[in-house]
Amino acid sequence: MNEFIPVIGLEIHVQLSTKSKMFCSCSTDYIGARPNSHVCPICLGLPGSLPVINERAIMYAVRMALAMRCKVNTHTVFHRKHYFYPDLPKAYQISQYDLPLAVDGHLEVNDDEKAHKIRIQRLHLEEDAGKLVHAAIGGRLMGADYSLVDYNRSGVPLMEIVTQPDITSPKQAREFVSRLRQLVRYLGVSDGDMESGSLRVDANISIMEPGGKWGEKVEVKNMNSLKALERALEYEYERQKEVKSKGETIVRETRHWDDDSGKTVSSRSKEEAEDYRYFPDPDLPSLVVDERTIVQLCKELPELPWEIRDRFISDYGLSLEEAEVLTERRDVALLMDDLVKGGSPVKVASNWIRTEIMRVLNERAISAEEITIPSDEMALLLSRIDRGDLSTTAAKEVFAMMLEKSLNVDDAIKALGLSTGKLTGSDLEAIVVKVLSENAEVVEEIKAGNDKKGKKVKFLQGIVMRETKGQADPKEVQSLIMSKI
Amino acid sequence: MKNSEFLKLSALELVEGYKKGDFTVSDVIETALEHIEVNERNLNALITPLYEEARSRSWMLDAALARGEELGSLFGVPVVVKDNITVDGVRTTCGSRMLENWISPYSAHVVECLERAGAVIIGKANMDEFAMGSSTEFSAFGPALNPWDLSRVPGGSSGGSAASVVAGYAPIALGSDTGGSIRQPAAFCGVYGLKPTYGLVSRFGLIAFASSLDQIGPFARSLKDVAAILQVISEPDARDATCARKERPNYAEFLNVTSLEGFKVGYLAGYESLEIDDEIKRAISQTIEICKEAGAEIVEVDLPISTRYGLPCYYTIAPAEASSNLARFDGVQYGFSVAADDLKELYLKSRGSGFGPEVKRRILIGTFVLGSSRYDAYYLQAQKVRQLIIREFNAAFSKADVLLTPATPTLPFKRGEKLTDPVKAYMADLFTIPVNLAGLPALSMRASMSQSGLPVGVQLIGKKFGEGDILKAASVIEQVVGPAATALGGDRK
Ligand SMILES: [Zn+2]
Repeated sequence: MNEFIPVIGLEIHVQLSTKSKMFCSCSTDYIGARPNSHVCPICLGLPGSLPVINERAIMYAVRMALAMRCKVNTHTVFHRKHYFYPDLPKAYQISQYDLPLAVDGHLEVNDDEKAHKIRIQRLHLEEDAGKLVHAAIGGRLMGADYSLVDYNRSGVPLMEIVTQPDITSPKQAREFVSRLRQLVRYLGVSDGDMESGSLRVDANISIMEPGGKWGEKVEVKNMNSLKALERALEYEYERQKEVKSKGETIVRETRHWDDDSGKTVSSRSKEEAEDYRYFPDPDLPSLVVDERTIVQLCKELPELPWEIRDRFISDYGLSLEEAEVLTERRDVALLMDDLVKGGSPVKVASNWIRTEIMRVLNERAISAEEITIPSDEMALLLSRIDRGDLSTTAAKEVFAMMLEKSLNVDDAIKALGLSTGKLTGSDLEAIVVKVLSENAEVVEEIKAGNDKKGKKVKFLQGIVMRETKGQADPKEVQSLIMSKI
Repeated sequence: MKNSEFLKLSALELVEGYKKGDFTVSDVIETALEHIEVNERNLNALITPLYEEARSRSWMLDAALARGEELGSLFGVPVVVKDNITVDGVRTTCGSRMLENWISPYSAHVVECLERAGAVIIGKANMDEFAMGSSTEFSAFGPALNPWDLSRVPGGSSGGSAASVVAGYAPIALGSDTGGSIRQPAAFCGVYGLKPTYGLVSRFGLIAFASSLDQIGPFARSLKDVAAILQVISEPDARDATCARKERPNYAEFLNVTSLEGFKVGYLAGYESLEIDDEIKRAISQTIEICKEAGAEIVEVDLPISTRYGLPCYYTIAPAEASSNLARFDGVQYGFSVAADDLKELYLKSRGSGFGPEVKRRILIGTFVLGSSRYDAYYLQAQKVRQLIIREFNAAFSKADVLLTPATPTLPFKRGEKLTDPVKAYMADLFTIPVNLAGLPALSMRASMSQSGLPVGVQLIGKKFGEGDILKAASVIEQVVGPAATALGGDRK
C-alpha cells in the first residue's frame, strides 16, 4: 500500500538558558529588551575583541549529551564558519565542525504505543546571530526600504542537535521534538519555547521507494510550532510523492514553510551551496572536558522523564497514558511523588494532578513547586475525596482556599462553611423538598411529561447541589428528586 | 637641564626626574608634543597625535605628583601606541581607509595597563595597513620615514612606533609583531624591539591580523625600559583565552649581569652563505665575540626547515587567518561603507575600495587556501610544517639558551624599492617569521652602525617564556655597544 516511506532527519537548535552569552558576559535575557541594549565589543564583533568560552554553556551541553547517551569528546575544537550577512557581526560564526562536543546518542519516542530509537548523530555548541528587522509591512524583506539589525541575540549560546534520518513519519518527528523539548526542560538547560525561537527545528525529508532507493533530500525550514512541523512534513511528503508519481525528479533544495497558506515554498537551491571555509578558531584553545567532569555531570543528572514514567507504571500501577501526562513536566512528576509519599491514594493523586492541579498551574502560569501545601495535608484532602466525604466540586473549593490562605484542610472546610461530613439522608431530603417547592412550575412541567431529555431534572439537581455546597452525592440527589416528584 | 634634553631621557630616567622634582610631567609632555608637531611634517610617524588628551592627562598627573600620591612604574612617561591597538574614545585606523573614522569604545588590555602605570599616550603610530607590510609604505595615511635617513623606510609594519622612539617622540612605544613587524623596524631604526612569547601579552584590543601569530610588544632605547614596559603590559588577562595565566618574573632582575658564564649562545650554522648584507654578517660575528668575551659558550645550531619552509608556511597561515579576521569589515556596522542598491553590492564596493592592495592580496590568498577543496593541501599542510618548525626550535634550545641571528637580511632599504615585488619584500622577514610560527620570544637590537651611518640590527631568540634569557644576553651586549641613540634625519634629507 504505502509505496513511499518518508525518511526524516532533524536539525534542532536550542538556545541555552545560561545567564550570559556564549563568549562574553552580556545577559541572554533579551526578550522584550530595547534593541542593541545587551551588547558589548565581543558580541558586536568589534575590531580587537576576543571570545572567551562560557563554561556553563559547556556544562549544559554535556548534561544534554549524557541524557541522550552520547559519547562526549574530551577534546573538542571551535571552528569559524564564514559567510556574509548583516546579522553576523564578525562575518563568521563560532561553531563546531569535525570535533563536536558529543556524538552517537539516541532518544526514544513512543509512536503507536511502540518505542522507536532515534539515533543522535552529533551535538555541538555555537553562537546565535543577531536579528534583522525589515522596514516593510509585516517585517518582510521584499519591498523593504531598509533593514535594521538588533544584536541582542548575537552570541547567545546555541546547542545544535542533529539526528540520523531515522524518523519515519511526520507525527514521529513531532513526537521526537516534543520529547527533546521535555528533556531540555527537565535538565534545566533551556526553556525550549518554539514560538519565541528558543527551540528551532529544520527538517530534512526525502522519500524511499519500495526498492529502498532514496530520493533527493529537501530541507524544510521555518516551522514555529510542533503543529507546524507536523503539517509541513505532511505537506512535503505528499508533494514529493506527487512529484514522483508524475515521473518527475525531486530537486535537492531548501523550502520554507508558510503557515498561512499551509505550503512549503522553494527558497534556495542547494547546488549553490556556500563554502564556509571552516578552520579552527585561533582565538580559542581546544577545549578539554576531562573524564572526571563528565563522570560528575553524569552523577548529577536528574531522573529522566522516561525513567520516572516507567517507575510510575511499575511502582504506582499507572497506565502508560497517565504516566506520560504526569511526567510531561518535571515539577509535576515530583509533585506526584510527593503526594504519594505524603500518603495520598495513587489513583486520586493521579486524577487530581492531571485535572485540578494542571488547571491551576496553567491558569496561574506557575510551577508545581509553587504549590506550598504540605504533602500530608494534600493527602488528607485527597483521602476524603477517595472516601466520598468530599465531592470533587467541594474539594476544588477547599483546595483553592488552602492555596490562597495557606490553611490546612479542616480550617479551609470551616472557612467555607462546609460540614466535614457528607450531606445525606433527612438533611439532604429537607433541601430537596425546599428546592422543589420553590420551583413548583418546573415540577409541574416534568409531571406533565414535558421533560423527555431530562434537562429539567438536571436543572433542579444543579440547584440542590449548589445549595448543599457540593457536599451531596449527585446520584442520591437525582433519585431523591425523582422520588419526590 | 634644557627642555630638549627630556627627549633623550629613558622612561625610567623620566620617572626618576619627576620623583626628584627636576621637572614636571607637563614640562616633558609639552616638549614632546612640540617636538612631534615640528617633526611630523617630515617623519609621518603618527596617524593621530593626541595633543589635547596628552596635555590634559599631564596636568592630572602633575596634580597627583603634587599630592604626593604613589607613582606608577611608568608615571608621566610619554608612550606611542601602534594604531591597531584600541584606546577608548580615540580613533583606531589600522592604517586603513576602512577604519579611518572608527572611534573605539574600549581600550585594549595593554592600554589599560599602561594607563594604570601612569603612562601618557601621546599618539597613535603609523603602520602598514592592517599590519601587512614591512616598510610602512602600505599605510593609507602616507608612508612613515626612517629618522636615520629620510630616503629610507623605517621598516614595518610597526614603522611608526619604531620611528617615534628613535626620533625622541617618546622613550617607549608599543607595536605588534605577526611575522617580524616589531623586530624588523626596530633593526631598521636602531632601537630595541621585543616580540614576547605568544600568550605572554594579552591581545585583547589588538585588531587581529593573524590571531595565532600576533603579539604586542615594546620598543625602547634602553633595555631597562624594555624590561619595565614588558612588566607592565604582560599582566595576565582572562579576556584573551590564549593569554598565559602563569606568574611573570621580575624582568629587571635579568639585567643585573656582567658575565655569561655557563650560558650558551647558539648561532645559525652556515648563515654566512645566506644572502645577507656583509655589514650584518660582521655585526653577527662581533656580537658572538662579545658573548664569548663575557664567558658564554658559543654553539652551532641548525634550522634548515625554518629557513627553507618558514616563509611559505607563514604566507599560508597568516593570510588564511587574516582573510577570516578581516571579513568583519563589511560596511554594515561600522567603518568605511559605500552606499549600494543591494547587500552584495554593499559588500563588494565597501571592501573593494576600503582596503588597499596588499590587504586585498592577502585576503585573496587566505580565502583561496581555506577553500574546502584546498584546505588539506594548503592550510593543513602548513600547520604540519609549523609543527616541524616548533620541533626544530625545541631541538635547538636543547643545545642553547638563546639563538643569535640576523634580524633582517638587509639594511633599511630605499622608499619604493620593494613595492613592486611582493615576494622580494616578503624575504625581508626570513629570520623573523619562524619565531612567530614557533610562538617564541625574540628581541631585535642594534649591534653596530654601518659605514653609511645606518643602524645594523641582530636578533636574539629565546625559548618559550625565555624573555629573561634574552634580556640577560642583550644586557651584556648593551654594556659594550651602548644603548640606542636618538636620530632626526632632518638635516640628511
Ligand atoms: Zn556581549
